Amino acid sequence: MTAFPLLETRALSVRAAGRALVERLDWRVHAGERWCVIGRNGAGKSLVLRALAGLGVPERAGDVLWRGRAQQDWPVGAAAAVRALMPQQAQDRFALTVERTLALSQVVASSDAHRASELMTALDIAALAPRRADQLSGGERQRVALAQCAMQGAALMLLDEPVSFQDPAHQQLVGRWLVGAASGERAWVASAHDPSWIARVATHVLALPGDGRWQAGPVDAILSAPVLEQTYGCAWRSVEGAWLPA
Amino acid sequence: MPARDPAVLRIALLAIATALVAALALGLGAGGWDWQLIVALRAPRVAAAAGVGSLLALAGLALQVLLRNPLADPYVLGHSTGASVGALAALLLGVQLWMGAATGALVAGLALLWLARPALAAADDASPRLILLGAMLASVFGAIATLMLALVPDQRLRGAIFWMVGDLSGADASLWNLAGAVLFAAWLWARGRSVDRLMLGADAAWLLGEPVRRLRLELLVFASLAVGMAVATSGAIGFVGLVVAQGWRLAGVLRTRELALLSVLSGAALLMAADLAARLVVAPLELPVGAVMALIGAPCFIWFLARGVK
Repeated sequence: MTAFPLLETRALSVRAAGRALVERLDWRVHAGERWCVIGRNGAGKSLVLRALAGLGVPERAGDVLWRGRAQQDWPVGAAAAVRALMPQQAQDRFALTVERTLALSQVVASSDAHRASELMTALDIAALAPRRADQLSGGERQRVALAQCAMQGAALMLLDEPVSFQDPAHQQLVGRWLVGAASGERAWVASAHDPSWIARVATHVLALPGDGRWQAGPVDAILSAPVLEQTYGCAWRSVEGAWLPA
Repeated sequence: MPARDPAVLRIALLAIATALVAALALGLGAGGWDWQLIVALRAPRVAAAAGVGSLLALAGLALQVLLRNPLADPYVLGHSTGASVGALAALLLGVQLWMGAATGALVAGLALLWLARPALAAADDASPRLILLGAMLASVFGAIATLMLALVPDQRLRGAIFWMVGDLSGADASLWNLAGAVLFAAWLWARGRSVDRLMLGADAAWLLGEPVRRLRLELLVFASLAVGMAVATSGAIGFVGLVVAQGWRLAGVLRTRELALLSVLSGAALLMAADLAARLVVAPLELPVGAVMALIGAPCFIWFLARGVK
């Protein structure tokens, strides 16, 4: 099993409204790696994550493989043990409690009976357990969604903006938790915006300028002024390890 | 598990209350305590009310999950009027009534699902759009049923009130409805966890490994069969599913398994009580039970909608 990368794409192309967002992406994610996907708003980060998870996107071509096997060949139940997706916007129409939502999200049986409570403590949502989804703030809901994704127990977590609504303290907290969450057989891919946060948290970066081009590699190689400029269309400078748009 | 205890207690208390309502419904009414009257006239009607109430409550619960909308109800969204059209067509063609009604409900359900695709996929709360679509669908089917009644004068067809509002007077004593409700509840119980996950969203449930397509199809078929059987017995009675399932949700019950058991009992109790009121309020005259149910249910619906309950 370990011979195969957790996630592999072969010539994956994603288009929307006639616009090529990513063209022929050949990319591998191995266990232990922590990937951040960067790109401007509308560059296709969410659609690429959806395609990687196996959900429908308007237009795609090429293959996505989980553990060396094409995603469409996985039975739906087995796929749930391999990959999890945290969507950017949770759709709660029924006001389930946080506790119940997490319990429903468990797929991979865990020998650890306290997994949910440990996770809630680690992500600072333990106090929210009895609260209903519609009684949470945006940032709280985002951390609950992250915990939901982690509860699934899949080896690969695909996270669509796990920290966009977090205050600085919780960005730190979630970042530290994410570093530990890619240990052993596990890995994650998360879209994010702040290069300084990414530099602290990720091992690799996938840059998507949104015009079909892409660049993937170790964080030090990709987080450079030229690549950031190409990705975001504005100049960047590094000040004492922090990246700032110039 | 201590969390189970209130659930068991709730169901036990509700079972007692339902039995009490059934006893009242059997014992009260014109003619008073007359054993022969009870067995020959009231028992069939009370059994019909209980069966239809259970079926409608379960159908409402299933549709709420299927459409991801806590306000869904077979009457509000046009399934019941679709079933009425199907039943009328079956009568005219000489086919089994309940089959025609179930087909009509299925067609109405598929039409709503197809029309509401964008609303169902929307990230925001699309309840108002879905309910407007359903209400318009109900109007279309209602108009078709009215036209059928006007154009095809036929002694076998029951009046417009029966098909549009629902009426239990003259309902046959059929234990099929109760048996169907028990079967439906058993299926919901067996699929409880999957249905609960469906409440998190179709994508979310699929990502968690649920066969979402099959599950939703099963929900639609079961709900349509239930609505078809109910409409074939009593015409289009509304709001049972809405009042029962949403009422228990407001009381804090969110698990499908528990909701299914509670729906069987409270649906039966609610409709038996409504029918009792229909028989007693202006005795010796009788009201159509559907009108009584609408007087209870429609204000609840307005209240839920205005409050924006989830």
